Amino acid sequence: MEYWIMGNKAALLTYVIFVSYSAVRGSSPWEMLAYLSYLCVNMAIPILRKQRRFQLLGSVASAVLVALFAFRLNTIFILLLPVNLYEMVLLSGGRNRFALLLGLVPLLLIPVDEKLVYLLAASLSLLLYYGMRVHTEKLMKIGEEKETLRLDLQRLKLSLSMNEAYIRQSAYTIKLEERNRLSQRIHDEVGHAMAGALIQMEASRRLLGANPDKASELLGNAIAISREGLERIRLTLKDMKPRSEELGIHRLRLFADEFSANHAMKATVTHAGDLDAITPLQWKIIHENATEAVTNSLKYGGASAVEFEVRVLNRMIQSVVADNGKGADKIVKGLGIVGMEERAASAGGTVIVDGTKGFRVTTLLPFRKDE
Amino acid sequence: MNVLEIRNLTKTFGDFIAVDNMNLSVREGEIFGFLGANGAGKSTTINMISSLLRITKGEVRLLGKDIVKENKFAKMNIGIVPQDLAIYEEMTAYENVSFFAGLYGLRGSLLKERTEEALEFVGLGDKHKALPKSFSGGMKRRLNIACAIAHRPKLIIMDEPTVGIDPQSRNYILNSVKKLNQMGCSVIYTSHYMEEVEEICTRIAIVDHGKIIAEGTKEQLKSIITDTKETWIGVKNAERLDLDALKGIPGVNAVRMEEQSVKIISRGEINNLNWVIQQLIRDQVEISSVEEQAPNLETVFLTLTGRNLRD
Repeated sequence: MEYWIMGNKAALLTYVIFVSYSAVRGSSPWEMLAYLSYLCVNMAIPILRKQRRFQLLGSVASAVLVALFAFRLNTIFILLLPVNLYEMVLLSGGRNRFALLLGLVPLLLIPVDEKLVYLLAASLSLLLYYGMRVHTEKLMKIGEEKETLRLDLQRLKLSLSMNEAYIRQSAYTIKLEERNRLSQRIHDEVGHAMAGALIQMEASRRLLGANPDKASELLGNAIAISREGLERIRLTLKDMKPRSEELGIHRLRLFADEFSANHAMKATVTHAGDLDAITPLQWKIIHENATEAVTNSLKYGGASAVEFEVRVLNRMIQSVVADNGKGADKIVKGLGIVGMEERAASAGGTVIVDGTKGFRVTTLLPFRKDE
Repeated sequence: MNVLEIRNLTKTFGDFIAVDNMNLSVREGEIFGFLGANGAGKSTTINMISSLLRITKGEVRLLGKDIVKENKFAKMNIGIVPQDLAIYEEMTAYENVSFFAGLYGLRGSLLKERTEEALEFVGLGDKHKALPKSFSGGMKRRLNIACAIAHRPKLIIMDEPTVGIDPQSRNYILNSVKKLNQMGCSVIYTSHYMEEVEEICTRIAIVDHGKIIAEGTKEQLKSIITDTKETWIGVKNAERLDLDALKGIPGVNAVRMEEQSVKIISRGEINNLNWVIQQLIRDQVEISSVEEQAPNLETVFLTLTGRNLRD
């Protein structure tokens, strides 16, 4: 934008020089001094671009100089004044109306025959000033927008990485629980069976010489026990599927039970469809939204019963928390609802809050079937 | 190319949120349906698109241009058929259409030509001189449509155009929507009549509480709920039925016998009713009734929101 101001000044100065030269009396050394000092001061302004205060000072100085020259040498110099005035307003971050008024003040002080030229110069400079101002504001707005977008991006990245960490964590937890369960079962069933078989076999070895019949009976027992043990191993291994879906719905049931026990509200959990399709991350969202919704019911709903429902449709997971309270005709979005929406949105889903028949919060999460 | 693009559109009245951060795009040549209960925010959205309401937040772009900044361009390229009739009862049909077309800057012989064309299009070509006072509800609606299309907009918005009119006019309107679409107009159509939306719209958004909760073709929307359909066939002598043969028919997932009827669950996109019936005839089973239950958009809405489209 500086270039525009510089151009504006240069054009006006050229005009002033041209007019003074073409006047009959020619140019005096004083006028030459005036041009040069004007040039000096105004060149200093863009050079000092890092220090706003000095820039402003330069602009003021230039205005004073111009006014001085205008009164002492040649009134044509007054044409250079408006640019400096606008520049001052721009630098000090003042109001537009101010600038307009300031530009009009010298109009009172100059001779009639130059008023028109002055008006022209002033309004052209004003136009330029306005244009620049709009431009600068736009640039600033874009800058701000960029900044908020950057912050948003950062926040999203953070939540994404947190979610990834959660997925890893829950996968690990599932594995751990599975391992514990497996070792427990091997210990309880297979371990005992093997120990039993071993004792029988030891006994049969001792009896082998003295009582072959008894020994053979014991050996038969050991074989039967071993066979059964083998069968158990097979069953245990067959049963080894990870149980993320059970974890999820169990946790929800547990939550509902605790809730009914702690508050005067009946909580029930129902589910339909293939819960296998729900990922740990989606379970997390369902849980957190259910907790949030039920807190709302407790605080505002005046409800005596609340129902949790998790349904896996063909391409969407639907989790509903509905109470039988008074509901609300008009829903005012508080932090709670916004939080639920944000959580759902992080998995590409939406939240519907309906207050027509009790309070009903539906979280919809899409999923791809082939996953 | 998207005719209309809506980004984060929001409208609040005080602390009530009528339209909540809506995002959608309407492609060229589409009939895009807004399906939702009364008060879901359909009309508010449309009023913002047509610059009747100020946008609280977000932006709407028509053919790539912001409708607030390029307001005149937007108005020239949108034709709106509002929910409440907007015609002058004291002016003749011809005067009504030519008045509205004149507002869009049409003049002289072009104005005359387009006015006649629009009236002809809605089937009121012989009613130039008649006053709307003497019209039926359906005819008034059609005149209203003529007023909206005379300036040949790229996008036509119809807000519940079939409320309270006779079935004949309703069919006429639905057909003219299709015809306008074939002529190259994109159409946005709102309704809480599921059948209409299902019949004419190429893509549909289900709107509830100011939000789009699902969007897609009607097949995609139904597929959210289920991919299967149920066929109930009432039979007299069920013991003759060869269940294994029925299960062997392409697309059939499961067959269940109930008293006096057989329930066949099959994949939604396959039409295998012919084969099923042929098999029943081969088994010499007496068929008393056939009923097919595929999910419709009403079921989709009900399942997703827990409420009916109409109360």
